[in-house]
Amino acid sequence: MSTSLINDWGEWLPRLWDGLLVSLQVTGLSLVLGFVIGLGFALLSSAGSGLVRWPAILLVEIGRGMPALVMLQLVYFGLPGVGITFDAFPATVVALTLTTAAYTSEIIRAGLRAVPAGELEAADALGLSHVDAMRFVVIPQGLRIALPTLMGFAILIFQVSALAYSLGLPELLGQAYSIGAATFRYLDVLVLAGLLYLAITIPASWLVDRLERRLSKHLG
Amino acid sequence: MTEPLTSPARPILSIEGLSKQFGDHTAVDDVSLDVRPGEVVAIIGPSGSGKSTLLRCINLLESPTTGRITVGGIPTEVDGKVSQRELVALRRKVGMVFQSFNLFPHLTVLRNISLPQERVLGRSRAEADARSMALLEQVGLASKASSHPPRCSGGQQQRVAIARALALDPSVMLFDEPTSALDPELGLEVLSVMRQLADEGMTMIVVTHEIHFASDVADRLIVMADGRIIEQGDPKTVIDDPQVERTRTFLSAIRDR
Repeated sequence: MSTSLINDWGEWLPRLWDGLLVSLQVTGLSLVLGFVIGLGFALLSSAGSGLVRWPAILLVEIGRGMPALVMLQLVYFGLPGVGITFDAFPATVVALTLTTAAYTSEIIRAGLRAVPAGELEAADALGLSHVDAMRFVVIPQGLRIALPTLMGFAILIFQVSALAYSLGLPELLGQAYSIGAATFRYLDVLVLAGLLYLAITIPASWLVDRLERRLSKHLG
Repeated sequence: MTEPLTSPARPILSIEGLSKQFGDHTAVDDVSLDVRPGEVVAIIGPSGSGKSTLLRCINLLESPTTGRITVGGIPTEVDGKVSQRELVALRRKVGMVFQSFNLFPHLTVLRNISLPQERVLGRSRAEADARSMALLEQVGLASKASSHPPRCSGGQQQRVAIARALALDPSVMLFDEPTSALDPELGLEVLSVMRQLADEGMTMIVVTHEIHFASDVADRLIVMADGRIIEQGDPKTVIDDPQVERTRTFLSAIRDR
């Protein structure tokens, strides 16, 4: 590896670093908002009333079936057609929030369903209201069961955030691309961008593994 | 146990004409039963005889097809729809212990007992915890207060489940095969807690296969088959001299086990 490559990387790094921060911001915001909405949809799509359940399941299936890239384009280029205009940053957050909500609602729903029915019966027999049973018994355990899968999904969404470069958002890939366009050194800059993605995803995956092992020991 | 079976005291629990259909199958067939305050009723019978379903109908975990349940003088018509208010009112007076304990594994033993008191009876955390500790003392598990249920043995979990139900001050306690999931020696510690509870005058209905417990502790033994009560009376009399052929077959089957 030549010293000039090291020098170039050193020169590009501040811009890529800024891009990485943008990637992390859109990912973080989308995850927080998406998890909350996802929990809401998980509860709605396991509701007793079909009138509530079926529309929720339909929306979740649409959200899960839609490629993230299409979701991004739809929000950024499509919604202005009905008078709703977003900048690239909020458009990315809205689109990735919707994708996150749709996926995590299924993950959380599976977690909620894994809570043994006997515990719900006990809650009923004790006279706890349905809301209390969900709040104190089902949701805390369901989320704990879902946590490793949710975190795995969070890593995925971080990777998917690279698609926002197509909206011109100056996130990590967007920055790398514009450096590449200016220097024609696509290979060098994309390798560095890739390394920065890995610097986040590899430790994160390792953390998820550890958490999964700890939780299974705790619950088992 | 020498008291007459039809005591003049007003029954604390009264079941009239209770039936439960599952599709074509009649699990409980027109059962009526009065239970006096402080009485311990043991229900035995072959599996599929409807004894667990009857128990689960009493606190409406199963909604009966027809019938009327009166607890502490307040009747609930259970034909068709029971209002949420009636449901909660009935369950408040009836405690239940399950075969599989059904503790909340993510909460400590103490929280398992205190949380329902706070949410259902509106007790303060301090009040609830004080009551919980007193009950844990009573079932011999005060040292386990801060443990999580998966760290307790089955017998300990079942004793916690009993304390959790007692904490809500029920008028009647229902036990659905409380020792069936336990090794015999762990079952014994649960039975001894139940025996102590009976001695203190708690009204109890116990679905069980423990014939010794039924004969030593129960005031009345009920034998069920095909959703009906086929025989009932003083436990020792029923066990030593059953009047109905099916009771004889069933008793000899569990003795041979």
